[in-house]
Amino acid sequence: MNRTRAAVIASLATISLFALTACTGAGAAQDGAVRLQMVESLTNPARTALLRELLDEFEAENPGVTVDLVSPPTDQADQKLQQMLQSGRGIDVLEVRDSTVGAFSNNGWLYDLSDDVTGWAGWDDLTDNAQAVTAEDGARYFVPYGFYGLSLFYRTDLVEEAGFDGPPASWEELLEQASAIQDPSQNTYGYAFRGGQNGFSNVVAAVEAYTIDDLDVEDAYRLEDGSTIFSAPEAQDAVDTYFSLFEQASPPSAVSWGYPEMVEGFTNGSTAFLLQDPEVIATVSESTTITEDQWSTAPLLTGPTGKAAQPLATAGWGVAEASEHKEEAVKLVEFLSGEEPATRFAQGNSLVPIIDGAGEDPFYSEGPWSSYVTMTEDPDTYVNVVQPRGVSWWTEWEQKADQDVQAVLLGDMTTSELLEAWDTFWTEKYAAEQ
Amino acid sequence: MTTLVQTTRVAPAAPRRRPSRVTAGSVARVVGLALWLVLTLFPLYWVVVTSFKSPGSINRWPLEYWPSEPSIDNYTELFATSSFGTFIGNSLVVALVAGATATLIALLSAYVLARFEFRGKGAVLGAFLLTQMIPAFIALGPLYAMLADLGLVDTKPGLALVYVAMCIPFSTVMLRGFFENMPDALEEAAMIDGCSRLGALFRVLVPVMAPGIVAAFIFNFVNCWNELFLSVVLMNSDANKTIPAALNGFISTFNIAWGPMSAAAVLTVLPTMVLFALASRWIVEGLTAGSVKE
Amino acid sequence: MTATAIRAPHARVQHGPGRRRTFRRRHALTILGFLAPAIVFVCWFTYFPMLQGAHMAFRDWNLWDLTSTPWVGLANFATIVSDPVFPVVAGNTVVWVVGSIVPQLVIGFLVALALWRRFRFRGLYQALVFYPWAVSGFLVGMLFRWMFNAEFGVVNDLLMKAGAIEAPLPWLAEPRLAMVAVITANVWYGVTFFAIMILAALQSVPDDVLEAAAIDGAGTVRRLFSIVIPYIWTTLALTVLLRAIWTFNSPEIIYAMTAGGPAGRTHIVTTWMIEYTQQGSYGLASAIGLAVMVVLFVFCAFYLTAIRRVNQR
Repeated sequence: MNRTRAAVIASLATISLFALTACTGAGAAQDGAVRLQMVESLTNPARTALLRELLDEFEAENPGVTVDLVSPPTDQADQKLQQMLQSGRGIDVLEVRDSTVGAFSNNGWLYDLSDDVTGWAGWDDLTDNAQAVTAEDGARYFVPYGFYGLSLFYRTDLVEEAGFDGPPASWEELLEQASAIQDPSQNTYGYAFRGGQNGFSNVVAAVEAYTIDDLDVEDAYRLEDGSTIFSAPEAQDAVDTYFSLFEQASPPSAVSWGYPEMVEGFTNGSTAFLLQDPEVIATVSESTTITEDQWSTAPLLTGPTGKAAQPLATAGWGVAEASEHKEEAVKLVEFLSGEEPATRFAQGNSLVPIIDGAGEDPFYSEGPWSSYVTMTEDPDTYVNVVQPRGVSWWTEWEQKADQDVQAVLLGDMTTSELLEAWDTFWTEKYAAEQ
Repeated sequence: MTTLVQTTRVAPAAPRRRPSRVTAGSVARVVGLALWLVLTLFPLYWVVVTSFKSPGSINRWPLEYWPSEPSIDNYTELFATSSFGTFIGNSLVVALVAGATATLIALLSAYVLARFEFRGKGAVLGAFLLTQMIPAFIALGPLYAMLADLGLVDTKPGLALVYVAMCIPFSTVMLRGFFENMPDALEEAAMIDGCSRLGALFRVLVPVMAPGIVAAFIFNFVNCWNELFLSVVLMNSDANKTIPAALNGFISTFNIAWGPMSAAAVLTVLPTMVLFALASRWIVEGLTAGSVKE
Repeated sequence: MTATAIRAPHARVQHGPGRRRTFRRRHALTILGFLAPAIVFVCWFTYFPMLQGAHMAFRDWNLWDLTSTPWVGLANFATIVSDPVFPVVAGNTVVWVVGSIVPQLVIGFLVALALWRRFRFRGLYQALVFYPWAVSGFLVGMLFRWMFNAEFGVVNDLLMKAGAIEAPLPWLAEPRLAMVAVITANVWYGVTFFAIMILAALQSVPDDVLEAAAIDGAGTVRRLFSIVIPYIWTTLALTVLLRAIWTFNSPEIIYAMTAGGPAGRTHIVTTWMIEYTQQGSYGLASAIGLAVMVVLFVFCAFYLTAIRRVNQR
């Protein structure tokens, strides 16, 4: 009987031992030292390494503060962030994107930085654009670290071999060149088509290029007359051209290609064209299959009227409302937004910088970056537009839109049905909002 | 598997040898075994070959079935860009601790469930069976919140606790099978000699059923070593990630790095493969001891 | 677990009624003490979070908007069932389970039979062939994803060398091919488990029974069907059941290879659930999870009853 009791006690002791050992390990603040937990979401190894470097400098400048960087795999990052934010523990500083800020702030998870930022010494160094995107409904929930915009990555050698003088300027030319280059028997394909996750974004980019003359640039899913871009007659031409790229000039497996596969398809040398953020420049440069003189970038593709719509996307750093060390957390965001760290971060990740004048750095006018300069110098051709990423139904939309894109690729849906469905979706959402 | 148990002796393998003759059956058997060997080993061969290719030659036609320029670049890159050593260590610690703890706890419950009739026994067994039907994802959110409250999120003990709970039902049922094959007389004799029940269990029964316990432990160890989703959700920092969660992280935003991924796969598979090679006889023997007939 | 149900007819009852009462009092503490750790763990870390998760199935619970999470009754279930993807997912799940289990059982049985009789190097062979079981499902998925890669995959290369196909197939991008690919991976993965379980069961068949049959002049095939299979059939049936539950509930391989794509054509219920979870739709995900449990529970009940019936006959 005693032995029995001993068994019970022993097993309960095991359990509590587990609990005890755990508690001593969990982020305790010993002797006044502060441990910040920072969570990124667009994780990649090179970026994480650079970020860590910056954090080390921050720690050196702020004795007594250490920063733990958490880097969840990208496809689970949002879920992880939400879980941490909801539990209110273990998160002080986090990456906030234009597509997540609405939901996160709506749930009361983000700290309003308004009162802090205006006092920052470096605040006035930020570009107007950077300051502007920060503000949302009178609050500022994050400070951007850079902007993402699309440009066309292309293989100079393949374009030349196919007999073209230079990269395509418009969607039509892209279709023409990519079809000419396509040669499955040589395992060479024209375009790294995005059929998988976020595949809809490029469809929308094409539609916006075709409807640019009537586009509401502040709400780029609508025309100036208030109807959706998907209802415009030009939209039909746009999607037909765009999906022809898949039919005639893409690897068949691209039906399921998302971000990693597309980039992989370009860096492993099997596709000639890739429409991506400049962020990818760093990755492509590291490719072991294609060399530096085999590729370059060109400006975003234009529509029939010779203009392109550049949907600038952004992300930045914010502070969790539940953080117990807000003062230090805000300090970290201020540090990362300072001229030197912010410029390094933007360059290391090939982002459009947030610091005024940083774009004039020679770094941005050389090699793959020259197309960026071309685009910023000609804002009438390459029109910056704002997509309604902050709306509460954005994730629902992403999911639906991706499904529809794949349905078209698999032949379950026609392009006109796609446009009709999208038109209906947005018309209803906009109507419900009012 | 469960139980699959009833009184069975460990039968010394297989029918007696008959004079060997080359028959259609024996040819088919050898060919079949050879074929299956090739099919089983092929993925392993392919991942090993991939891991030793130089980074540029992984994506090159024609495919190389033997690296033309063998290199360990993928391995050096793996260790340079990730804390893979830490991940292996974490997996090892968590799987060992959780696997052993679960085996121990299951040993106790299995013993009771095998030896006694009592009210609620069916309910306990039913509840254990039901755990196998719960999709992990339904509980992940609340589990995270619960462990966060206990300060156990992103800690190895926290993950181990959850793994123990995950392993208990199956190993209980498995061990129960072994107990049922042990005659009551064994521990009754020991108890008459003055042992307590627990003493009898550990001094008399446990040594006799060692292969079964090892088999149960290996089941648990392998399950913990391989578990993906709980680890992904409950672990945040690189210092605490286990291998499957880390591998999952390799599919990062930018590229699926097949080279380092293959290197990681090789390093992950080898230890368990060796463990298995060494223990495979015990596993079969242990399971045989707990096997059903009817 | 399953054993209780099956063995109920002749359960072990060794104590007379009188003895039993004293036994109860004397042993209640032992029983409780020995069971407590297991029950505490399972309730605390499995059932408690599961029930918390299950209640979300009846609420509009979306991580993107937690400002209001009203009770919605069965609305989540209705949303799931009326989703156009639902019939595809349900069909895939059946194909996935049956298409995986049947080949696993057949090949596993053949491998076990071939290994039954001792031969030189059997230990080595077992050591080499049993390793897939020790590999994580996710890793198996990644290995096969690489082998089935459309551009640089070895499967396409081998098929082209063999002259079976002329151009590379987009294995993971074409819905039917993708389903073939994920099931192939799962079959490869699961044969070992069956082989081990069946081999163990075969070895528990007593020699004397077999010898008696051999003396009676029964041929190999007849002995197999009239003696061996009846002898181990409960093991077979239970192994199949357990494996079916696990296969139903195991999204790792599909998650690693296609994540349910293209266009949801390789989704099974559990990968579908993951997709909802990753979108933050916990309410819908929980509804799927609950439905899975109910379906499995009913399936188990029927299956176990059937086994018991057969055994009683």
